Amino acid sequence: MNVTVQFFAHLSDAVRTESCRLHLAPGASGLEARELLIQRYRPLADWIDCCRLAVNQEYQPWETALKQGDELGLIPPVSGG
Amino acid sequence: MKVQYLAEQPIRWEDLLKAQESRAAQEGWGAVVTFLGIVRADSHGGGKVKALFYEAYAEMAEFQIGQLVTQAQIPHAAVWIRHRLGQVEVGQIGVAIVVAAAHRAEAYAACRFLIEGIKQRVPIWKQEHYEDGRAQWVGCREDDSKHAHV
Repeated sequence: MNVTVQFFAHLSDAVRTESCRLHLAPGASGLEARELLIQRYRPLADWIDCCRLAVNQEYQPWETALKQGDELGLIPPVSGG
Repeated sequence: MKVQYLAEQPIRWEDLLKAQESRAAQEGWGAVVTFLGIVRADSHGGGKVKALFYEAYAEMAEFQIGQLVTQAQIPHAAVWIRHRLGQVEVGQIGVAIVVAAAHRAEAYAACRFLIEGIKQRVPIWKQEHYEDGRAQWVGCREDDSKHAHV
């Protein structure tokens, strides 16, 4: 199955893109997506522990099962307001 | 996606207050509380700030702010929120919240709840731009990464 991943702020600077597509096995969770992202983008390893996962614009645990077409967001510590 | 809460242009909070004033009598509002977040020159450690640059995960930020407004649960009240995107100079408004309610206690409480919620969970990030030309995202230094807002 295919999902998209959105990067923001210093993460998008580090990986030099604002988004990417991931191909995952059916039934994969955010944890598998996370592993794949770290393998593809080494700089993520320094920051991913402080990121939250969003799936389709809602915060979800990393263990969340993903489905075809999901939009993931890697949310580093927010600083708005 | 209908954009309600994010704004690329300078925030004209005074226009909103005028609009609220005209509705106050018919809505039974006895209190209007306003919070304005102003960009300051002091930084998170990098030097003297001349501007902030705000980036958002726009669809999610709109959704999360909408959820906060629902969770504030103020009966017979009106809430107006605008958060800037893009570059905001020192002294300009980065975020504005106006709550109109029957009584001041609920207006103050809701306003506080909303700004704290925005700071804690809405996917908006600010980049400090310093007078020496450097720029740095807030929340992305090693010491910041140990204090992730969740």
